[in-house]
Formats: sequence, structure tokens, C-alpha cells
Amino acid sequence: MSYMFKQLSREWRFMLRQKYLLVLLGCAILISGFSVQSGLNEVAQQQQTIERLKAADVADRTDTQNKQDEIGMLAYYTFHLTYSPPSDLAFAALGERDIYPWKHRIKMLAIEGQIYESDTQNAELTQAGKIDFLFVISALSPLIVILLFHDLFANERSSGRHDLLVTTAKSPWALWGARGAIRFISLFLCLMLPFYVGAWVSGTSLVAVGLVSLCCFMYLAFWAILSVYWGKNANSGPKVASGLIGIWVLFAFITPILGDLAINKFVHSPKGGDIMLTQREAVNDAWDLPKEATMDAFTATYPEWKDHVAMQSMFEWKWYYAFQQVGDQIAAPISQEYRAASQKKYELAGYASLLSPPLLLQRVLTRLAETDAVAAHKYEQQVRAFHKTLRLYYYPFLFAQGEFDKGNLANLPSFDKFINKQHGVSDTDSAQTTNK
Amino acid sequence: MIEIVQATAVIEANSLCVNIKNNSILKSLNFRVEAGEIYALLGGNGAGKSTTLKTLLGFNAPSSGSVKVDGKEVINALNHVREKTAYLPESATLYTHLTARENVKYFLSLADIQKSDDEIDQAFDRVALQRNARDRHMQTYSKGMRQKTAIALALLREAPIFLLDEPTSGLDPVAIDEFNQLVRELASGGATILMVTHDVYGACQVADRIGLLRDGELVGEFSAPQNGQIETEQVHAAFAQRGAA
Amino acid sequence: MSEHSSSTARFAKMMVVAKDEWRYWLRSKLAISVLAIGLILTLSSVVVTAINTMELSHTRHALQEDAEQTFADQPDRHPHRMVHYGHYAFRAPSPLSVLDPGVDAYTGNSIFLEGHRQNSAMFADQKQGTALTQLGSLTPAFILQTLAPLLLILIGYSSVSRERESQTLTYLLSQGTSGFTLIAGKGLALMSVIGLILVPVAISALFSLHEGESITAIVGFVLGYALYLTVWALLVLLCSSALSKNSESFTALALTWILLCVVMPRVASSTAITTVPAAGKLETDFAVAAEMRKLGDGHNANDPAFAQIKASLLEKYNVDSIDQLPVNYRGVIAMTSEAKLTQVLNEFAEKRMQTELAQTDVSRDFGWLSPMVAIRSLSMLTAGTSIETHHKFLREAEELRFDFVQGLNKAHVEQLSYQVDMNRNKDTDSGQKARVNAQNWQVLDDFSFAVDTPSLRLQRGAPAFLQLLAWIAALIIVIRLVGKRLV
Repeated sequence: MSYMFKQLSREWRFMLRQKYLLVLLGCAILISGFSVQSGLNEVAQQQQTIERLKAADVADRTDTQNKQDEIGMLAYYTFHLTYSPPSDLAFAALGERDIYPWKHRIKMLAIEGQIYESDTQNAELTQAGKIDFLFVISALSPLIVILLFHDLFANERSSGRHDLLVTTAKSPWALWGARGAIRFISLFLCLMLPFYVGAWVSGTSLVAVGLVSLCCFMYLAFWAILSVYWGKNANSGPKVASGLIGIWVLFAFITPILGDLAINKFVHSPKGGDIMLTQREAVNDAWDLPKEATMDAFTATYPEWKDHVAMQSMFEWKWYYAFQQVGDQIAAPISQEYRAASQKKYELAGYASLLSPPLLLQRVLTRLAETDAVAAHKYEQQVRAFHKTLRLYYYPFLFAQGEFDKGNLANLPSFDKFINKQHGVSDTDSAQTTNK
Repeated sequence: MIEIVQATAVIEANSLCVNIKNNSILKSLNFRVEAGEIYALLGGNGAGKSTTLKTLLGFNAPSSGSVKVDGKEVINALNHVREKTAYLPESATLYTHLTARENVKYFLSLADIQKSDDEIDQAFDRVALQRNARDRHMQTYSKGMRQKTAIALALLREAPIFLLDEPTSGLDPVAIDEFNQLVRELASGGATILMVTHDVYGACQVADRIGLLRDGELVGEFSAPQNGQIETEQVHAAFAQRGAA
Repeated sequence: MSEHSSSTARFAKMMVVAKDEWRYWLRSKLAISVLAIGLILTLSSVVVTAINTMELSHTRHALQEDAEQTFADQPDRHPHRMVHYGHYAFRAPSPLSVLDPGVDAYTGNSIFLEGHRQNSAMFADQKQGTALTQLGSLTPAFILQTLAPLLLILIGYSSVSRERESQTLTYLLSQGTSGFTLIAGKGLALMSVIGLILVPVAISALFSLHEGESITAIVGFVLGYALYLTVWALLVLLCSSALSKNSESFTALALTWILLCVVMPRVASSTAITTVPAAGKLETDFAVAAEMRKLGDGHNANDPAFAQIKASLLEKYNVDSIDQLPVNYRGVIAMTSEAKLTQVLNEFAEKRMQTELAQTDVSRDFGWLSPMVAIRSLSMLTAGTSIETHHKFLREAEELRFDFVQGLNKAHVEQLSYQVDMNRNKDTDSGQKARVNAQNWQVLDDFSFAVDTPSLRLQRGAPAFLQLLAWIAALIIVIRLVGKRLV
């Protein structure tokens, strides 16, 4: 044990004398620190936004409820904030929250007309991409590993020291093992330390920190072993590094791009715009259709209101909301197809990422941080379910005639309560899926 | 200082053949170096000197025949062989960002040898490395100074066997004399020394025996008379003649 | 005269050095394969993107015409129904987006236009993506901005340091070639590689002439990339001549590339987002809603907020009640409240766009620190795929929206009497009566979006041009200094 420690401490002191290694490690810790810092900022901004929105949402609803009395108008004007807060690991993997919406205001109108509303940030900045910890680990760290490890042997060979070193060392492990290990440990710590600080600040669970550490360790080890293996017989460091950077370009850019092209060719997805078009056409046509057509379609789904569809006037709110629902029903197949297509794409992208370690890591970590497409779809599902709860709340008041007592508004569904209730269910759900 | 009580050869090559990338470099090479002997393998460019040395150090595996150091087949006892030998590479580039002392300390630590600063200074004294240069970065060193540092390192290894690759290249005449003196001292202390060189004159000055290597074969051996030197003319003639043939 | 001949002699020497460098590349496996890969990548990106963009452009034109036709084909209706029926605006891609699609994939390229609200552009391609192309996509812009510098590094890192390591440098210098001439010759060789990379790009840029792009924009676009790659050629020469070993030169260049091409653009955008925080659309929606409640609900003519309008109308036409007005009071209210609402919406939209521009400016200023950031802005700006173009689309779509909504409201005011309108829900007959002729659906202007004029785009790109030129000037000065001390 002490022998091993002696080897490591020698190589540690040796590394401290090599300026360019220190520069590389310095860059690593700086970039990683910046990425964690900006990740924390971003998550804090998201949380603040949610808090502000929640407050504005309550004020807005109170205002509306004071102003409107009729149930139909109340339903028309009352918005409900839905949101998906960033997880405690989101700071490390901001994921696709800049592409998929994580907040919506929805009301009783057809959900298909509301759910695709995007509230994205500055497109030009989104296009450049953000620098988060995940980007640093998955895309940048391989390059730093390559620069640290490619000339482990080549540098000694080209300087004519290799044979002397090997014949002097007690064992190859005492030399190359210790040297490689010290470089690896230093880099690992430089990259991970900012993450640990960030995790401590945002109170990430130890399990998540452990899993992230494990993934990053394996990922970095993969690149380190590849770099060492690639360069083990080489004389020229730059040639080794060129080859390795070529592999990096292949993994980070070429395979994903080809995978993307292939998947988009293979999976046919309906155009998003068509869903909205279908829904809008249905809703607009409903105005000119016989009322029965709408009501029949509505009661096919909700037979409990079959006896309450008779209309006294040319316009009644129950009919209005019925054709909103029918619009959703008509758009449902194409909307289903759209979601199925993106699910299929996500699955296939999983296979594609098996050929690209950087993407595999991104996939695993964004899954852990719940910032990927799956999380976005789950949120969309929640919004849809909440929209249904909302409708089911209003239907009795709309269909069962009679004055609406505003005291009932106390029981108006709220997304917060809805999520809390759902959590009990979805926890066992996710436990089952992880068991699989 | 070091004692080797073995009657057998310390270094021994028997019908040694080595192929590198399908080229046969050593063709049935035979030679033995006894304990306390200074043996010079002399040869021109491409004769197979470096290959022989690398095979002795275990970097090349023999395709047939055998090569033994300290009685053990090299390829089967790499760690043992490397522990028993101190190797001096031809152009010894140590780490230029370290001082001579730091270099020596680093390499000694690799070999798991403890030496005090005093002992290191003694070794530097033996190779006549200027005192004021010892704590300077080796970036500023001349080729001779670098060679001296490497020799000091070899001395400090306290190995019973020395393998020297063109040891005097880059040294000035005074330094060469000092080096030869040092080698003789080591040999009389019981160390076994094998050097490879293309310098006929230098080899004759210091070696007890010279093996003339050509195209991977030993084509002649010359022994020094009791208390005398090998005759330079004789070796030179053989070297030139065979070389021309 | 002698000065002239000495300069031609120097140029001849540079040519010899450059030719020699090419011979080295052709003989070295690494250089030739890097070159081949680079050209294949550029070519395939040009072809793939061109096919995609052509498809998009075609479908968007067709979709726009379709949308207009569908709107005009609607039967007789109550005009306000058409306000809610809505219309679509599609953004046809700019011709140069073949080479740099810029923000197109992120903004979505159609907007649903309806009364009372400004929708955001919808269905950005990215949302239905595979998340595979986060690090880069196969666009010529990405290849040129990120991978081409790497290519220059891989073939050029040893251009001068190699001569030093093999000790031919002293020999060359002792032959009377000055250090600067040697570096310039190596530079000439690298420049020829840049030319080679730019050929497919330039050719495909020229094709966009056919799509109506102006030659000025094309020249500006290609020139921008030429300058950018020149910066990299100079960086390669600098490291290669200032550092003594191949491996040192390589490591330094690789690190420079990582910092300037991979890290900096993201640092720039992250910094921009944190220094200029922007309220999301949702947040402004709340603020708009609050403003709107003050303005009153345009659907409800009895909203007390409209009392003043009512009074002034009664006064204007000198009547006692709204029934006696010669115009449809509901229509007037709809029209006025739409105008007021639009004013509020536009204020917020304008504020949001200004914030986005401020953010973008912060990130573009990083161009002084990274030529990659400079060319990214320059490329998008000249290609007309920057955030400015997106804003222009939003503004024009809003104008289109306002015009058609008010056109319909005008029909509401003038062609539908108040009484008929008020009775519209009484029975089927009155419902049928409360309609206006489908002739009125011709209110749509032909919408065809065009990017800004080339001169405006180039003018916006001027700072980025300056940034690149500053990099070039600074590097040349440093290289001259290094060239003098070359040993």
C-alpha cells in the first residue's frame, strides 16, 4: 500500500512540474466551474420564473373570478398555470428544457390548441447551445483526456527517454500506471469538484451524485484507456492525437448526424401544424354543423350527459365546450401519431447513441436529471390529464342546469394539488419501470 | 562494493536470432561476457548493435536462440534483468524541465532506490559534473553534461551489470579519459560492462574484449593481453576490411 | 526597380516554400486523409442542406397559398367567426439558408394568426428531433466554423516546427530565406487549402443567385468565411513558428481550438442569458392580461370600460341609444378594443424583441475574444437567418394579422346591423341572417416574406467583419515579430 502511495506521490510531484499539464487541468476546472455556475444560475432563474408565474397566476385568477360570474365566461377566462420545476440535478444537465416547454397556461378550450404553444428563449442563443456540466463532460472532457493521455508513451519515445524509463522502473505499473492514474485522478477531480459544489448547493441526493460520478468515471476511463491504447506504440504524439480527435469527431458529430438523418428518414411523423389545423377546422366547422352532431360526438365519450344536451338558445356554453372537446377528439388520432412518432424517435435515438459514447452519456444523465424528452412528454401528459380534470370539474355545472354558486370555485382543481396527488401514484409507477 | 561470485557468464547470447518486421536483424549471434569484464560490441551502422542491446533489455523477443542475463532468460525475467542492469542510452535526454538532481532523484525513485543528497553529489563528483550546474534546469545543458548526468544516474543505480550505448559520444577528450577511468574502476569493483560502439579507438582503449559485429553476426573477437590494450591497428584493419567486403 | 525585383524574388521563394509544403502533404498519409475527409464533409453538408432547404422553401410557398385559398373559400359567416377562424403566415427560408440555416430550426417557421392574440411561431423542427444533433448538425456553416479550423490545425501544426525539429530550419534560413518569407510561404500553402474548402461553398452560394439572392450578400458571406479561416491559418502559423516542438505546437493549437470553437460560443450565450434576463412569453402574457382587463373585453359591448366610446359615438351621430347608430356598435367595440389591445401587445412584443437583441449583442461581443463567435454572427446576419430576420417575420406577420382582423371588423361595423347582430343566437334563422358575404374574406394581403436587403444585412455584419479583421491584424503583427526572431 505504502509502495503504491510512494509511486503516486512521486508522479504527483512530477506532474506539478509540467506546466502544460497544469494549464490543461486549470482549463478543465475553470470550464467545469463556469458550466456549473451557469447551470445553477439557469436553474435559479427557472425557479424564480415559476415563483413569479405562480403569484401572477393566482392574482390573475382572482381578478377574473371577481370580474366574471357566468360559469361559461369563468371557464373561458380562467387560466391555470402548469409547470414542471427543474429537478435538483437539472443544474448539471439542463438538457432539452430550452427546446421543450416546461410551463403552460391552459384553460377549458381544446387542449390541442394550447399544448404546442412554445415559450422558448432567444433562438440565436439556443442555437449556440448552453454550456452546462453535461456538455463539459460529454463533449469537452474527451478532448482534454486526449491531450493529457495521447503522449503518455509517444512523448517519452520521441525524446529518447522511453527505454531508460522502462529499464529503470521497478515495474511498468509503477511508472505508466502511476503516471496515468495521477493524471486521471487529477482530471477527474478538476472536472467533478465544481459539480460536487453545485450538488451541495442545490441539495442533490447522494444517490444521484453517486450515479453521476460513476457515469462520468466510466466515461472518462473509456476515453483515457482508448487514448493510452491508441498511443501505446507510437512515436509521434500529434499523430496519435489526430487519430483520437478523429474518433472524437466521429463519435460526437458524424455518428449522431447520420443517426439523425436515418431516424428522420425511417420514422414518419405527421406535421405538428396539421394537428392544430385539424383541431381548428373541427372547432370552426362545429359552428355551422347541426348541434346534435357535436353533442352526439361529445356524449359518445361522456355518455353521462346524454340527457342534458338539449339547447334553449342558438348559443350555450355547454355546446361551446362540447365542440372544443370534439375538436380534441377529432385531432386525437393525428396527435397520438405525432407523440408515438417522437417516442419512436427517442427509442431509435437510444440505439443510435450506443454508437456514440458522448450521446449515451447525455442520454443517461438527462434521464437522471429529468431534463430529456421523456420528462418533457411526461409533463405534457400531466398537462393533458390536468386539462381533463378541469373539464370534468366544469361539466356538471355546464350541463346540469341551474345557477352557478361562486362558492364552488373553492374546489376548482389546481395544478399543484393535482401533481401532489398524482405523485403517490407515479412513484409506484416509476418503481415498476426501474424494476424492469 | 558489489560481489558476483559466479563462474558462469553474466551476459550470454546463444545462436540469437531477432527479426523485426520480418527483417532478420540478428543472425545466430554468439557471445559471452564474464563477471568483471569490459566487453565492447563494435560495429558500423546497421550492424545490429542497438538491436542486441534492446534484446538484452527485453524490448525485442528472440525469434530463436537464447539470451541470458545474470543466468536468466531475459524475456522470462524482465523485472529481474532490469533491476540488475543499469542502462545508459545513446543520447540521454532526461527531463529538460527538471534539474539534474531532480532528474536523478526521480529516476532513482522509479527504481525504488533511496539516496541522500550527499550520495548524489558524490556520484556527480565522480562524473565531474560542475557543482553550479547540478541544480539548474537541464534545458541549458550541453550534450556532454547530459551524458554525465545519465552516467551519474547509472552509477547510483548500483547495478552489477552496465549496458552502455555509445557512451562517449558527445564527450570531449578529457571527459572521455575520465569516463574510461570510471569504467575501469567499476569493472575492477566486480561490475560487468557491455558497451556497443562504432568508435574503434575508444573501444580499444577501455575494453577487455571486443566483438566485431557485422550484419547481425559476430565476425571476430579480440582480447586484450594481460595488463595491456587491444591493438587498435589490428581491430581497425579487421573493421575496415570486413566493412569493405 | 531593385525593390521591385527583390519583392518578386521573395514571392518566388514563397511559392517554392508553398509548393514544398504541398508536396509534404501529398506524401504524408495524415495530411492527405484529413484533406479528403474535409472536402467530403463540406460537399456532403452542402448537398444535404440544399436538398432540405429546397424542400422546405417549396412546401412553405405552397402552404402559404393554400392557407390564403382556404380562408377565401370559407362560406358566408358572421365576421367575428372569421376573426377566430384565423390565418397562417409561413416564412419561406432565405436563399443563403442553404449554407447557414441559423435560427430557422429553432424558431419554427409558421405562425397562426387570429384575433385578440399574438401567437408565437410554432413547431420548431427541433422539438420533433432526436436530440442527436445537439453538438452539431451537418450544415455547411457548422463544418466551416467548427471542423475546418481543426482540419487546418491537423495539416498545419508542424509546418514550421517540423523544419525546426528536423533541423532543416537553420539550413533554410542560412540559405537566405528570411523567417517571414518562410512563414508567408507556409501561409500561402494553407491559404490554398482554404480556397479548396471554400470552392464547394462558393459554388453553392452562387446557386442562390437563382433564388433571388444578391451578389453582394454572397460575396460578403464567402468573404467572411475566407477571413475566418485566414485567422485560423495565422493562428496555426503562429503556434508552429513560436513553439519549438511539433507536439507543443499541436497541443497549443488543439487547446486553442477547444477554447475558441467549442467553449467560447457557449460561454457567450450562457453569459448573455444571465446578464440580460428575459421574461418568457408566459410572463408577459400575464402582464398583457392585466393590461387587457383595464381595456375591457371586446366581446362584451356592455363592459363598463367602453362607456366612454359609447358616449362619444352617441354624440358623434347625435342619437340617444346604440340601437339608433348607423353603424354596428358591437363591431365598433371589437375594432377599437382590437386596436388598443394590439397596441399593448406590440409594446410588449417590441420590449421582448429589444431584450432579445440586447442579449444577442452581448453574445456577439464575444467575437472580440473568439473568431468563431464573430463568424457565427456574421454568417447568420449575411445569410438572413439571424434573430433580426426572425423579428422581421414576427413584425410582418403581426401586421398581416392586424390588417385582416380589422378588415373583418370593418365588415362587422358596416355590413351587419346591430339588431341583427344582437339577435344572432335567437334561432337558426337569425343565426343565418347575422352573416356577411364571403366576398369580404378577400381582406388578406398576399403574404410573402423576404429577408432584409443585402446592404442592411452587411451593415449589421460590419462589427463582426471588424472583429475578424482585428484578429487578422493582431496575428500578423505578432507573426512578424516571431518571424524576425526565428531560429
